Amino acid sequence: MRISAEQQTYRRRAVIVTLAGVGAAVASGTAGCGLLDRKPTPPPGPDPLEPLRAQAAALARQYDATIAAIPALATRLTPLRDAHLTHVVELGKLIATAAPSVPAAGASASAAPGTPASALAALRTAELAGQADATAACLSAPAARAGLVGSIAACRATHAAVLA
Amino acid sequence: MAVNEADSRLAAALAAEHAAIFGYGVAGARLDGAALDAARAAEAVHRVRRDALLTRLVSAGATAPPAEPAYALPFPVTDAGSALRLAVHLEERTAAVWRHALGGTDGDQRKLALDALVDCAVRATRWRIVAGVSPATVPLP
Repeated sequence: MRISAEQQTYRRRAVIVTLAGVGAAVASGTAGCGLLDRKPTPPPGPDPLEPLRAQAAALARQYDATIAAIPALATRLTPLRDAHLTHVVELGKLIATAAPSVPAAGASASAAPGTPASALAALRTAELAGQADATAACLSAPAARAGLVGSIAACRATHAAVLA
Repeated sequence: MAVNEADSRLAAALAAEHAAIFGYGVAGARLDGAALDAARAAEAVHRVRRDALLTRLVSAGATAPPAEPAYALPFPVTDAGSALRLAVHLEERTAAVWRHALGGTDGDQRKLALDALVDCAVRATRWRIVAGVSPATVPLP
């Protein structure tokens, strides 16, 4: 059987088209594996733990403001302030994006500590609110994050206990 | 979440609760007054949690570790001071096991673990205050 030059050209084109199709399939298959095998791309929008980190920073600032206004409370409150700063650092390790350079809202709540008793009561209220938020975050967190977030909830509960 | 993983972490928590109950028996023998009352109250809470865990594990068909006849103490308990330090130690250890359970559980089981962690952490803090340990809190209980 004779194959004309024109027919041969047609057949080569068909082979090329077929290989191109296979190449595209392989390429898309590789991309699919990449999604499974590599670190998942971060979901769009802020990390779900970002509000908790901002809250920890705000709590630390509230302690700073109270200590500045009532230095006699410094010895008692400094370890509690430091715990919140530890939480900011530890949450940052999970969030893996830079901490916001602009202070988050909430610092203004600490503007007027007033008397020592009212300042301690305000801190306790903030700790209890923070405990509730950390509890909710723990219960909805993926397994790898539940331990740290639960520990932060427990820490805030102990702060509320010593401020009572 | 693998069922076996949750069960094994809850079983570890049960073992820790057994040990805490034993430890409070030792500590209570060296305490009196308000401290003894607090030790008894803490022991009662650990018993309630132990029973809840036992029920949960048995009904799930999982292995529930029994209590040991005795547990090694981390240091000699010879007076009220060492008894209070033991109480702090018991709550810290139990808190750590419950914290570990958080990462292996979800839903109701994680809630159970978190409630237990918070309770142990707060009790550890109260014991540190009674024992005169400062600061009374730790950053990551």
